[in-house]
Amino acid sequence: MPFINFATREINCKIVYYGPGLSGKTTNIKWIYDHIKPENKGEMITLATETERTLFFDFVPIEVSNVKGFKVRFHLYTTPGQIIYQASRKLILKGVDGVVFVADSQEERHDANLDTLDDMLENLREYDIDIEDLPLVFQYNKRDLPNVLPVEVLRRDLNRWNSPDFEAVATKGIGVLETFKEITRQVLKKIKR
Amino acid sequence: MLSLRPEEDEKLRKLLTELNRESKSKIVLLIDKSGQLISRSESPAFSSDDITFASLTAGNVAASEALSKLLGDKNLNHMFTETEDEGIYMILIDDKYILVSIFDKNASNLGIVRVKIKKYYGKLVELLRQIEERIESESSVTEQIDVEDIDLDTLFE
Repeated sequence: MPFINFATREINCKIVYYGPGLSGKTTNIKWIYDHIKPENKGEMITLATETERTLFFDFVPIEVSNVKGFKVRFHLYTTPGQIIYQASRKLILKGVDGVVFVADSQEERHDANLDTLDDMLENLREYDIDIEDLPLVFQYNKRDLPNVLPVEVLRRDLNRWNSPDFEAVATKGIGVLETFKEITRQVLKKIKR
Repeated sequence: MLSLRPEEDEKLRKLLTELNRESKSKIVLLIDKSGQLISRSESPAFSSDDITFASLTAGNVAASEALSKLLGDKNLNHMFTETEDEGIYMILIDDKYILVSIFDKNASNLGIVRVKIKKYYGKLVELLRQIEERIESESSVTEQIDVEDIDLDTLFE
């Protein structure tokens, strides 16, 4: 749910990066964080285990000002991908304004993609969020690896809503910005509606 | 969609600032459960990033709430975190918002903070309900928003 303050002329929106374990959700927002101008970003918070697996969530606030209108602050969150953190994932979806589903393109991770998508749909249902009405972008990550599934297969199995989708190599920043721009565009469009 | 009008923003800020002063807190924050900072007391000395603080507080409360549900309790009402020098007291309002006081343990204590919050709690609930009623009665607030010309390319180095 966006929060609009007419006194400070600020709009706050929450964007969640969802996907199976090790699909590159943290890599996505870390790349964004590393490449954004210092004046446009707050502090990045990572709640991770010693082996850098996300334990609860990562958080990056990003501010965009425009001259005439409002300052928009996007709160980017990632969920923990591992199956056992189902409860934490649900908590992070609370009040979500847009979702980026980061899929792992590798063939052996496809079942994990599908399980995580089911898990996301169930969590959204529990919050009474209609996925048809939620800004949603898919990202097929790790396209540089040898054992990847064709995009058509990923699209057919995961992107059942014909949402915008992008191929990515998040470690190199390929596709990261495109994905981010598309989800922010959709979220802002929904506010205007 | 949650929104604040300038006069509401001012009332909230004033109320939180009074609470902050009386409870001798460092800062008082009002956060919604999804992690958005709604308002805060005027506390120029507080230098930590309040946006990040709001996000972590909501995560903290959400995790504690899930824990209390696991234990079979229905609701979490409030929680307290203590560091070496500071106390962080969090209380839920209407199951939608979180009121947070951060205080220096040498300047205040949990008892004072709780008593003062109790004093202002009713006023705060009333104000928040008035805001919610105003939001419900409005058809759309978004016509007044101009986000067309936001250029994300300028964000990146």
